[in-house]
Amino acid sequence: MIAAFSPFLALRYLLTRRINLLAMFGVTFAVWAMIVVNSVFTGFVSEIRTDVRRASPEMMLTDLPLDTGYEPLRAALEADTAVAATAPRLRHHGLLQPLRVPKGLQPRTEAAELNFDHMESGFALLLGIDPAREEAVTPLRQWVARSEEVFALHHVMLPPSTVLLDPDPDRRAQLLLPDATEWLARRRAGLAVDTPKSEYRSAWPGVLLGWRRAPYTPWLREGDPIDLLTAASVPTTDGTPQLRSHRVRVAFAGYFATGYRAFDETTALLPIETLRTMFGQDIHDPDSIDLVTDVAIRLQPGLSAHAITAARDRLQRAAQAVLPAGSAPCSVLDWQQQNTVFLSAVATEQAMMQFVLFVVMLVAAFVIYAVLHMMVVQKWKDIGILSALGGTPRAVGAVFLLCGVVVAVLGTALGTGLGTLSALSLNDANEWLFATTGLELFPRRLFDLQQVPVRLDPAWLVQVATGAIVFAVLVALFPARKAARMNPVQAFAHE
Amino acid sequence: MSTPVLAAANVTKSYRLGKREIPVLRGVDLALMPGERVALLGASGAGKSTLLHVLGLLDAPTSGQVLFDGRPVHDLPVAERARLRHEHTGFVFQFYHLIPELTALQNVLLARMMATSTLAYWRTRGAARAAAMDLLAQVGLQDRLHHRPSELSGGERQRVAIARALLAEPKVVLADEPTGNLDSATAAGVVELMFSIQQQRGLAFLLVTHNEDLARRCDRIVRMRDGVVQGEPART
Ligand SMILES: Nc1ncnc2c1ncn2[C@@H]1O[C@H](COP(=O)(O)OP(=O)(O)OP(=O)(O)O)[C@@H](O)[C@H]1O
Ligand SMILES: [Mg+2]
Repeated sequence: MIAAFSPFLALRYLLTRRINLLAMFGVTFAVWAMIVVNSVFTGFVSEIRTDVRRASPEMMLTDLPLDTGYEPLRAALEADTAVAATAPRLRHHGLLQPLRVPKGLQPRTEAAELNFDHMESGFALLLGIDPAREEAVTPLRQWVARSEEVFALHHVMLPPSTVLLDPDPDRRAQLLLPDATEWLARRRAGLAVDTPKSEYRSAWPGVLLGWRRAPYTPWLREGDPIDLLTAASVPTTDGTPQLRSHRVRVAFAGYFATGYRAFDETTALLPIETLRTMFGQDIHDPDSIDLVTDVAIRLQPGLSAHAITAARDRLQRAAQAVLPAGSAPCSVLDWQQQNTVFLSAVATEQAMMQFVLFVVMLVAAFVIYAVLHMMVVQKWKDIGILSALGGTPRAVGAVFLLCGVVVAVLGTALGTGLGTLSALSLNDANEWLFATTGLELFPRRLFDLQQVPVRLDPAWLVQVATGAIVFAVLVALFPARKAARMNPVQAFAHE
Repeated sequence: MSTPVLAAANVTKSYRLGKREIPVLRGVDLALMPGERVALLGASGAGKSTLLHVLGLLDAPTSGQVLFDGRPVHDLPVAERARLRHEHTGFVFQFYHLIPELTALQNVLLARMMATSTLAYWRTRGAARAAAMDLLAQVGLQDRLHHRPSELSGGERQRVAIARALLAEPKVVLADEPTGNLDSATAAGVVELMFSIQQQRGLAFLLVTHNEDLARRCDRIVRMRDGVVQGEPART
């Protein structure tokens, strides 16, 4: 039972003391911040995960020994019923140097300056793919098609590359550009062309670059020749390793955009045969092997999480079985494991952010505590009177606890309402602000997003609201207890 | 012989100051009969207020007993003592002790909100209001119902406090120098009011005062000295 005077007096105290508004707005602000900031952050994180997911094969067989061939692995993996398709991949690193560089735009390295910016220096992670097989495993065509949208966001009109659409599968495998395009590019680069345009056949393997390289080579046009330089340590006949460099001329075939920043910044896609040839595994040599460093895997659709985990272990064993005896263990990684460093960094950041928000909540709770404590200290005479009139210590404490409850509930309600409203109208507000003042609260283009990715999670709303109230009430218990334990007689000591 | 409505039996009370024990009450025996008007006199610091607080269950005796209607009550659980205090005794203090945020009417009504739940009070609030307004009219404050304590004079404040002490219809009123803070004319008015209500309702009345004249108008005078009381007849 709550004695009638407790809520009655609590209400009077609240209404006559404006400092309670401060405590209430503290809660409002904390709840608001928790909802809005977390909604935006959750939106960003889910956007980031979507991008990473798009850029990664569902599963990947990796950590293979040197000189591993694709075919036996393909046979072993595709024998598993859970596997829908596989694609060979050959990873290496190299340097890209466009042949044609407009005057005045000479790379700074030519001025005998060391340049460690990997994009300007032309450094690239080369990813050799078999386009036909790759398309069955990753959304390769979508990567290329998306570049148009992404450039459009930056007000650049650039139609996507058509190398993947060539009707001739052999030309597609080489990512060859249309004959006329390459012929024109040769002329632009000032190379000798002794064949008439109509008889010319493209010869340079195509290379698809991540769209984030575009700002560093804005003059590049389709077909422009690029020299690709790479080096690898190879064992010589006497067993000592030796560094051997390889150079090949490729043609710029266009851009791709997975959305995953790190991938789009560093990766260059090129035909796997081109890379294999560079490493001495020419397809025309009967002794050559179909070299791979990884095998990308797509599973059958609709598998349960449990089935996927089981498949991962099974595939690892199947792959290991076809590797030479005594090889180091290979790994099969799902898309999250492939990007574990990045994803766990994002998760840590979100946890940190939630911790900061929790501190805001802590401050709000502290304000409630301070206001109530002050009230108890100032009202010690009233507490004595209430005792003299027959108020129980519990009921006296309840006066102050109720003050805290009202402040917490009103503050939370207001904060939840404002937070939801802010989150829902964030994009409108952002646009309106941009239209009227030119300011952007959330620079969407920085993240290549059309909209601020707000994700209002009802579970989070409930969690924050109940958490705030419970927390505030717990904090209010301390001053309430202090009031209940006050000795009433002290209030009647002489003034 | 009837039972005293309120009694102290060999009550002692001492305060601890550091390691020293300071005895304030050293075995007080005092019985208050129904309808009896008793004055409690004594030098400042004699322990009059302390005794009043112990009798009103605001403070616990160090030893001895406090009896309501012959029943020992000083060691009941705290909530039970609060309920008894509410039903049994009304307090009037020298410094009025009204709650500054509340109007005169609300201050009086507060006495009705102690032992009832919010819901029960809400159902009977009309009757409570009528009773409080009636009491305020009795103490001559029918025109001051909605004034806050800061908007009332000292005498008016004490009248509000008297009305508040009476609203729960206690059997005993404990008054600690109720006129100590008022000028003599105002004090006279307040005293007349208290005595007339006391007589009219047949209340047991314990009045702490320094005023010998006032004390002589009581049925009995009790003097406190060295932590014990000595009774003497008042009216000659
Ligand atoms: N909480 C306390 N701690 C220590 N000593 C106390 C405490 N309360 C009262 N005393 C002491 O008890 C003694 C009696 O105090 P009390 O207030 O009862 O006196 P009183 O007779 O009411 O005096 P007055 O006429 O001035 O009101 C005083 O000496 C006082 O110092
Ligand atoms: Mg006193």
